[in-house]
Amino acid sequence: MRLSLSFIAALFTAAVSAVSTTGNRLLVVLEEDADKQIYSKFLGDLKSRGFDLSFESPKSESLSLFHLGERSYDHIIFFPTKMKGLGPNLTPNILVDFLNAKGNILVTLHSNVAAPTSLVSLLAELDIQLPADRTGLVVDHFNYAADNSSAKAHDVLLLPPPRPARSDVKDFFSTGAGEDDVLAFPRGVGATLGASALLNPVVRAPETAYSYNPKDQVGALTADDLFAAGTQLSLVSAFQARNSARLTLVGAAEMLQDTWFDAEVTASAGGKKKTINREFAKRLSGWTFQELGVLRTNWIEHRLDEPEDPRNNETNPKIYRIKNNVKYTISLSEYSWDSWTAFTVPDNDDIQLEFTMLSPYHRVPLSWDTTRSSDSAAAYTAYFRLPDQHGIFNFRLNYKRPFLSNIDEKNTVSVRHIAHNEWPRSFVISGAWPWIAGVAVTVAGWLAFCLVWMYSAPAKKGVKGEKKTQ
Amino acid sequence: MSAADPLQVIASAGKGESTRSVLRVIILALIAGAAVSSRLFSVIRFESIIHEFDPWFNFRATKYLVANGFYNFWDWFDDRTWHPLGRVTGGTLYPGLMVTSGVIYHALRALTIPVDIRNICVLLAPGFSGLTAIAAYLLTNEMTPSPSAGLLAALFMGIAPGYISRSVAGSYDNEAIAIFLLVFTFYLWIKALKQGSMLWGALCALFYGYMVASWGGYAFITCLLPLHSFVLICMGRYSTRLYVAYTTWYALGTLASMQIPFVGFLPVKTSEHMPALGIFGFLQLLAFLDYVRSAIPSRQFQTFLWLFAGTAFGVGLLGLVIATSMGFIAPWSGRFYSLWDTGYAKIHIPIIASVSEHQPTAWPAFFFDLQMLIWLFPVGVYLLFQELADEHVFIVVYALFGSYFAGVMVRLMLTLTPVVCVAAAIAMSNLLDTYLTTKSPAAPDALSDKDADGKKAGKAGLKSTSKPVVGIYASWAKSVIVSSFAVYLLLFVLHCTWVTSNAYSSPSVVLASRLPDGSQHIIDDYREAYQWLRQNTREDAKIMSWWDYGYQIGGMADRPTLVDNNTWNNTHIATVGKAMASSEEASYPIMRQHEVDYVLVVFGGLLGYSGDDINKFLWMVRIAEGIWPDEVKERAFFTPRGEYRVDGEATETMKNSLMYKMSYYNYQNLFPPGQAVDRMRGVRLPEVGPQLSHLEEAFTSENWIIRIYKVKDLDNLGRDHASAVAFDRGIKKKKPVKKKGPRVLRVE
Repeated sequence: MRLSLSFIAALFTAAVSAVSTTGNRLLVVLEEDADKQIYSKFLGDLKSRGFDLSFESPKSESLSLFHLGERSYDHIIFFPTKMKGLGPNLTPNILVDFLNAKGNILVTLHSNVAAPTSLVSLLAELDIQLPADRTGLVVDHFNYAADNSSAKAHDVLLLPPPRPARSDVKDFFSTGAGEDDVLAFPRGVGATLGASALLNPVVRAPETAYSYNPKDQVGALTADDLFAAGTQLSLVSAFQARNSARLTLVGAAEMLQDTWFDAEVTASAGGKKKTINREFAKRLSGWTFQELGVLRTNWIEHRLDEPEDPRNNETNPKIYRIKNNVKYTISLSEYSWDSWTAFTVPDNDDIQLEFTMLSPYHRVPLSWDTTRSSDSAAAYTAYFRLPDQHGIFNFRLNYKRPFLSNIDEKNTVSVRHIAHNEWPRSFVISGAWPWIAGVAVTVAGWLAFCLVWMYSAPAKKGVKGEKKTQ
Repeated sequence: MSAADPLQVIASAGKGESTRSVLRVIILALIAGAAVSSRLFSVIRFESIIHEFDPWFNFRATKYLVANGFYNFWDWFDDRTWHPLGRVTGGTLYPGLMVTSGVIYHALRALTIPVDIRNICVLLAPGFSGLTAIAAYLLTNEMTPSPSAGLLAALFMGIAPGYISRSVAGSYDNEAIAIFLLVFTFYLWIKALKQGSMLWGALCALFYGYMVASWGGYAFITCLLPLHSFVLICMGRYSTRLYVAYTTWYALGTLASMQIPFVGFLPVKTSEHMPALGIFGFLQLLAFLDYVRSAIPSRQFQTFLWLFAGTAFGVGLLGLVIATSMGFIAPWSGRFYSLWDTGYAKIHIPIIASVSEHQPTAWPAFFFDLQMLIWLFPVGVYLLFQELADEHVFIVVYALFGSYFAGVMVRLMLTLTPVVCVAAAIAMSNLLDTYLTTKSPAAPDALSDKDADGKKAGKAGLKSTSKPVVGIYASWAKSVIVSSFAVYLLLFVLHCTWVTSNAYSSPSVVLASRLPDGSQHIIDDYREAYQWLRQNTREDAKIMSWWDYGYQIGGMADRPTLVDNNTWNNTHIATVGKAMASSEEASYPIMRQHEVDYVLVVFGGLLGYSGDDINKFLWMVRIAEGIWPDEVKERAFFTPRGEYRVDGEATETMKNSLMYKMSYYNYQNLFPPGQAVDRMRGVRLPEVGPQLSHLEEAFTSENWIIRIYKVKDLDNLGRDHASAVAFDRGIKKKKPVKKKGPRVLRVE
């Protein structure tokens, strides 16, 4: 235990210098070098956070995501390209392999540029549906930037800071943003998300927004032809695979461009407003590249909670007995930009432990354990009594929440039956006393009978003799 | 006798009583040696290896006992079987066998002879068969004054294939020691009964306790001894000897049997044990009445008393029935019913019926296992019937019930064999005693002998025996009879050796076949696969297979299994059957829930190996159907014409079942297109083989007998496995065309 702790401490020091928890090799897929200038602030921010950027064109033949079966890059950003596909080095299968190897991907789209087929297939695998090529443009006639060249088209959406949809979800993308701040979403594509639990919309379109094809749906739009509208349109979507690899889809690549970073815009409703695009881009890329919302299990400890038991001091025993009292503690940390901090469960949420064999026998909430927590790690503890059922059980902590990396810890223990010498002895059980007394009486009676039998025969002679002497 | 004349000494050898005893001991030792050595074929042909299925568990348990000591063995909770339920192994096994090997192991170590525990386990059964031969000698000697009968019985017992089938080297099963204990307990019972001795009765109880600790078949003794007593009582042969022997045995034996954790309170709670208790009570009544009768000599009173005894017996029986129906006493178990109605198990408990050794015996099996003994057996019983002393009644009763049970279940041939050997030896020795003598008695002597015999046998004697028969003492008659029986005996030995070496010495873990040039070819797929599991999987990787292979996987691969040959939980077995019989999509959640990592199937299609899973598949379906009649249906595995097919004509349910897919996955690639043939079932398979999406092939043994599949984890991207596999194959998802019906909206 001590050894593993020191090992973790060593890891800590290593992690502080690194920027992301999974590495800093970032591949930027750009078609032309000139594009670098458009995104210079965004890319500069990434570089300043410690990422090691390499730029590649999808046409490049030397581009390879894997080298000898290992990832060559830790993260990828796709900026819009004019290419139809992305070439043989970025096929959807390779990208799926990249996700499976815990690589992270940030995909950006533009309504004027057709999404490469490779990315469309990849997104389709994740249950993210895009409108057909160059046919989707999200417009909103109520929330748009009025001072823009496209003031007429209403295609630059001004959105409120993206707050989480539910109260028990941590806010990663809009903290620090004022109520008046807006997020500009220029000329973007909206996607619809399937029911997959791994998908979460980060920015959803306002209820008044809809997606249409500016070429042939100019006049009228029937309900059947509508791709999607309102909050069903996801403008920025997040996907987190089971292995916590992340993929983010940004509907408008333009929102990451320098022009929209800290810009002043005139809202359609009136008044000048500041865009929070720069902060949002930082947070979104930070989340995608495992700088935010990364949870880590430092250690798990379960032990007996029975002071009299001689095995009470054993940590993580392999076997328990039915109806033992046990204590389970888990230490969790959350990574935030550059350091591990104690993970606090959001309000209205609980972290729960299951004790399962085929199905849960117990589901108990864990509570903060102050004695074992520190600034960088939070310990959560639960006490409970094992069920009256022997078998092979799992301490299972399955904590999967939107935007937090998955925690699915399984510690298998055997729960044995009561051994032959662990039952109370018969003389302790008051109900057994009549039977014990019965045994004693029988034994005593038998001995008495034997004594009487053995000593009664000569007595006859004695009686006779006595009579004679008398 | 003077030592000066050595020739005289040699000539007179074998005449004195002590030399005869010495000879007898030597002969018995030789018989025991023959019994042991004829069981060593398997070690010589193959190697010192544990055989079959159950022995692997016994071996594993023995290793645990040796490694952890007796108390830990007693409290053993086995978390590597019946995952995730586990098994309270220490309390649910008969520990006699393991404890015996453990004691031998420690005794040898104490004598500084370090022997591998495996070799002790392998050689335990042959060792005990030598003891069984001696026990058979002792039992037979109690039946007849003829000294040769015992030796013949020992010889028969030693080499009869019916017993060898369960006791070759490596067949480390409970029966290995149980048959010795069975015969020896019977010997002690007869001894106790004949002498009315409490000491022998106590010894009988002691060995009965050992028997209970060793084999579930102890119920045979539990029922046979009371039955014998009951028959004796009905014949009016109640005696204080019977009373002493029976009550001593019952009281001590029941106490001894209750010390075994697995048996516990069964002797006072289940119907199987009630006859013994009933006779115990009945004997008390009889003893009481007997005492009263001797005290008050009145004929009328006596008949009244007998009536009273009858009613008491009836009331007792009625009470038993009521207690059973009220639930105080467990009713007869299904296994017991299947002894009376051979069709019972097939309908009600398919798990019992699915075991081949629980099938009714085919008649050639009797000749195969007992050869000439089977026709000497009735002769012996008849001869005993003629004398019909108390102990002969025992053999008659035993013969009747043993024959019945052996006819009902193949494995119960084992309990019949001892009585067959004893009865046949008596018949044989009677013949030899009559004919194998050079002296012809003088005619009047012979006549008087005949008369005496005739009187003894009473009316049962045939008419012809009362008349002097000319020629029976003629030397030609003697030589013909003796030589023909010598030939029979020789043939018997030949047969036994042949059967042992050809039929009963295969470990079934290793298969032997002959190459065209006659040399032996070993098919070692089982061990190859188990070794693969041992070396390539995590130590706690759960293996799902049909229960037949559970013990072997536990013993050889040392991996946790879901179900094994200790079929204590029918539902769990049915779960595995359901997983095998359902489609991938349906069985995947079951496998996930049970944390299955690998699935192992046995496939005999390439080699023509008949004991494969496709042949056992219907049993899986039936057992699963017993629990989930709505989800698994046996009918769906048969074509409309009622055929069980695996080729292109197989039903959709069959083709989609996990078992079918795992068996035939990639099989067609071994053959030219369209030429794939299942050699076991002799059918041509469809050109396109089954596709797997939730599992992936992990290992296939050399001859494709064992195939192991790895259960895939949930898809990392949240897709279902079928589409994930399709994607990997390069089939891109089509853009959803205009959806019909209402839009599916996402709700947070």
